[in-house]
Amino acid sequence: MRSYPVTPEIYAETVLNMLLKRAKKPRRHTIEDYLREGGYQALEKALNMSPEEIIDWVDKSTLRGRGGAGFPTGKKWQFAVQNPPPRYFVCNADESEPGTFKDRILIERDPHLVLEGMIIASYALGANTAFIYIRGEYPAGYRILRDAIEEAKKKGFLGRNILGSGFDLEIYVARGGGAYICGEETALLESLEGKRGHPRLKPPFPVQKGLWGRPTVVNNVETIANIPFIVNLGWEEYRYIGPSDYAGPKLFPVSGKVKKPGVYELPMNTTLREVIFKYAGGTLNNRKVKAVFSGALDCFTGEELDMPMDYSPFGFGGTGTVIVLTEEDDLVEACLRVAKFYEHETCGQCTPCRVGCHEQAYLLEKIYRGSATERDWEGFVFVNRYIQPMSICGLGAVAGRLIRQAMEKFPEEFERYRKKLARAG
Amino acid sequence: MFEQELLQKLNEHINYFPRKEQAILLCLHAIQDHYGYVPPESLRHLADLLDLPLNHVEQVVAFYDMFDRETPARHRIRVCVSIVCHLLGKKELLEALERVLGIKPGEVTADGRFKIVPVQCIGACAEAPVFMVDEDTYKFKGEESLHEILSRYP
Repeated sequence: MRSYPVTPEIYAETVLNMLLKRAKKPRRHTIEDYLREGGYQALEKALNMSPEEIIDWVDKSTLRGRGGAGFPTGKKWQFAVQNPPPRYFVCNADESEPGTFKDRILIERDPHLVLEGMIIASYALGANTAFIYIRGEYPAGYRILRDAIEEAKKKGFLGRNILGSGFDLEIYVARGGGAYICGEETALLESLEGKRGHPRLKPPFPVQKGLWGRPTVVNNVETIANIPFIVNLGWEEYRYIGPSDYAGPKLFPVSGKVKKPGVYELPMNTTLREVIFKYAGGTLNNRKVKAVFSGALDCFTGEELDMPMDYSPFGFGGTGTVIVLTEEDDLVEACLRVAKFYEHETCGQCTPCRVGCHEQAYLLEKIYRGSATERDWEGFVFVNRYIQPMSICGLGAVAGRLIRQAMEKFPEEFERYRKKLARAG
Repeated sequence: MFEQELLQKLNEHINYFPRKEQAILLCLHAIQDHYGYVPPESLRHLADLLDLPLNHVEQVVAFYDMFDRETPARHRIRVCVSIVCHLLGKKELLEALERVLGIKPGEVTADGRFKIVPVQCIGACAEAPVFMVDEDTYKFKGEESLHEILSRYP
């Protein structure tokens, strides 16, 4: 077997033995490994079902998009098939949110689970061409997917007349070039067309006009890895996994100040406290949890640890990314890292986001370094608020969110720096 | 024009996708792997191969972070400076690299061997702090271990 680029041995643990059944072991599982454990049986079953029935099962399963937005997958598929073919299916493997490394281990360790999900999805959506767009910083994943596709073709799971069903499908692997924004689905489609990753105005949504103006479904890697389970188990049994409205396994990448960082596969009625203390071994040096960042999206306090890890209004939501900060961490400095992230990753298309993300980082850095004036402080608060309502895509909408939450929830941390403001100047 | 070996690789990429312009990022990766950066004159040839206007190719190469049009280096060391690596010692990692290589982030060693590039999250946060050398991703395990890792990249 050929060797792949070095990848880190990320720890993975599962209580459900579904998505991580194989991927908990840090090695690439070949098609033989996958077939030995019943792999591609869901595809066989799906090809004997009608596309409408599969979409109906996915809808009833309550599966929600695992890429961050939590949109019901079945609904997305229903919208797409209302529009005439040709349609495309695209798997979003541009995982780039800070603290997020869950899709990586599925791709690198169990690529056939992802491919099987993609093939079933493409069949259900009537797509004969599918793409998987993987971020540029995952070169091993890129090569593993290319090889896995060749393996699947040799066995007749891809290509012409799949398993004698008359259904044809080609899957292409595209590589990114280091741009967080390409995880936004319309930016991803632009990039897939060979352009800059500038998000498009919505509507029209990709299910209406996506790749080359055709109806396109874009689903996250983890979302699509659920599809073989829904087909194999049936939607009713699938809904017994976790709470019935937020059913199915969920991957939680946990990092920061915990004893056992890694990816945990848990049902969504798990609480944030359980994720940190029961599974990830508690905090380093047993310090008190000061804050939890869900990627670069939300800031929660140590008082909010009893929330469920689901998509309800009071749930953790998002990609499930848990970054733990303890009392020894400086929250303003951590917010500065988040501001720098958005400053670096704004695509530059909309002026409020391009200028706003830059100003937010610039002024917060001044505050952090103690060289800000009262006017800088006011400017910072203003900019933080006004990036949001004036941007085309979700990046602009959330670029100030975590920092704003941190200011509201930890006023004393910011107050400390405010006291250091330079005299008007 | 491109050397035969590179040209063959570019043509493989161009023939891979349903539409040839989709191969632009794969081609830019191949060019950078070959030359150690994306030489400005390569863009015109790539534009011809892809049947795209030169300014389209220039816009794309400027947009995506991984492509370096300025300084050739045989190996790129990408150091994560995002939140998790920041919490867990990216400062020590950067300082160790600076000591071992005698350069600052953004600079290239005198022999053109290494360039240090600070990057945003590279998705290996459970092992933070992390860095990449070319296509390989490593956990930072102290300055001593850097010597051994870097010796694999002549």
